[in-house]
Amino acid sequence: MENKIKLALAQISCKRGDKTANLKKMESLVNKAKKQGANLVVFPELSLTGYVVRDQIYELAEAIPGPSVKAMENIAKKTKLYIIFGMPEVSEKTKATLYNTAVLIGPEGFIGKYRKMYLPTHSIFEEKRYFRAGYHEAAFETKNGKIGLIICYDIFFPEVSRLTRLKGAQLIVCISASPAVRRTFFEVLTLARAIENTAFLAYVNLVGIEDGLQFWGGSRLVGPNGKVLAQAKYDEEDLVICDVDYADIKPVETFVPTLRDLRPELFDELKKHAESL
Amino acid sequence: MKLKPSVLDLDFQEVETKIRRFIKDYVEKSKANGVVLGLSGGIDSSTVAALSALAIGGDKVLGLLLPEKETYNKKDVGHAKLVAKKFSFKTKIIDITPTLQAFYKSIPNFDLKDNVCKGNIKARTRMIYIYYFANRHNLLVCGSSDKSETMMGYFTKWGDVAADISPIMDLYKTQVRKLAQHIGIPKEILAKPPSPALWPGQLAETELGIKYDVLDLILYGLEHFMETKDIAQQLNIEKELVDRIKDRWLSMEHKRRMLLTTKLEYRTVGADFRLPRSYY
Repeated sequence: MENKIKLALAQISCKRGDKTANLKKMESLVNKAKKQGANLVVFPELSLTGYVVRDQIYELAEAIPGPSVKAMENIAKKTKLYIIFGMPEVSEKTKATLYNTAVLIGPEGFIGKYRKMYLPTHSIFEEKRYFRAGYHEAAFETKNGKIGLIICYDIFFPEVSRLTRLKGAQLIVCISASPAVRRTFFEVLTLARAIENTAFLAYVNLVGIEDGLQFWGGSRLVGPNGKVLAQAKYDEEDLVICDVDYADIKPVETFVPTLRDLRPELFDELKKHAESL
Repeated sequence: MKLKPSVLDLDFQEVETKIRRFIKDYVEKSKANGVVLGLSGGIDSSTVAALSALAIGGDKVLGLLLPEKETYNKKDVGHAKLVAKKFSFKTKIIDITPTLQAFYKSIPNFDLKDNVCKGNIKARTRMIYIYYFANRHNLLVCGSSDKSETMMGYFTKWGDVAADISPIMDLYKTQVRKLAQHIGIPKEILAKPPSPALWPGQLAETELGIKYDVLDLILYGLEHFMETKDIAQQLNIEKELVDRIKDRWLSMEHKRRMLLTTKLEYRTVGADFRLPRSYY
């Protein structure tokens, strides 16, 4: 495993409902990122389709692996890069049970996926109408470190990131489609999740306007000490290449040993009280 | 939550940026040549026209002045022209009086004293003119409705509210005033009491029975799920007034959601066909 990697925060806008156009855009950015020395390229939540596709999601969703994942596998093989992107996934066992999924692909092909556990269904969000919530956290061993995957609203629930960290994730990747009115929350929570887990956190958000929703971008890499190491532009497409040095985790972990100090017995209390809320 | 005027404060530079981006993005993606809008000389349409000109350039913005005899006000026309000059967008003035008179004459037993019926015909006639220019020149219709009047249903169904996009519909009137000031709408327009000008002497605050400063705080409280008794208590006003505003807000939903049928089949227009508004 490499101790140092170059990460590309690929902050894009999507052409809604047009997987071919979005795959093409992602391919071009992967190529661009490669030229700039990146090892891992991260795209936003539902970057294959755009976020506001509503009922069209049933037509757009694919099984994993499926044609779009295969197309991304080819891009990863060709460029020898690792890629994370978001897509609507249809369960192989059903025709219309969908998940909001993050996919991790490498030069060796499909590595793993994460199905979003917390589906916002409030305000302008209607994810539970379309998606089934995932049940499992995801952290995958790669040549670029152990990578944990979370999606957008998951970041409001520290247990999701924590679970990836407890499985060994050193880099937590949060792909997102967050509209501008929520920027403050994410700018705080990205720091919090990195600090409390003493891990790197890469946040990659959508940009562009979909049905009046303005996605604010602001993708960033946060170090294990909560320092913002790289920051993409607000509101515009951007590609930011940044360095992750996993050696930086140890000094932080000794300085603020949040993992050493974990109190598992409190989780039982948490469970008890959460069930009776 | 404490209901005080400062809850309506926004970063108006950011608001301006977002609205300009929204207009530009929508015009570009829909491949329109620009926008057209009705220009009354009032604060809402002046603000939207100015923001449109800032967003896409004044040469792509057409403001239509559509006066008619009964409510003609030289000052309003002057104000509309003043904004157009300041923000360098195009205008066209068309007297709609003959069209209105044709309606009044051709409708059997038309009551010329019925201000509401007549006023709505005026608003809908303007809509027809505006959409004509939109069709003719591949323009989008840019609406000027604000959040206060939209929540109150204080508009003509299929009339002044008819538009392809409504850039300031998420801003209360008092917020529009601040935004207008921020982008440099002339003072004389800011100082004018709002009026739909559907009949002579019509004033919005008189007709609504409340000042916008208070109304907007009530609506803000309702927006944030506050109970009417708490809103009344905080603003030191009668609960009955707040209840009346709440009832009006709720009873006007039919004017905001325009397609209603009865559920008969699998997926229904206006109900559970949940589609993106556009693919752009």
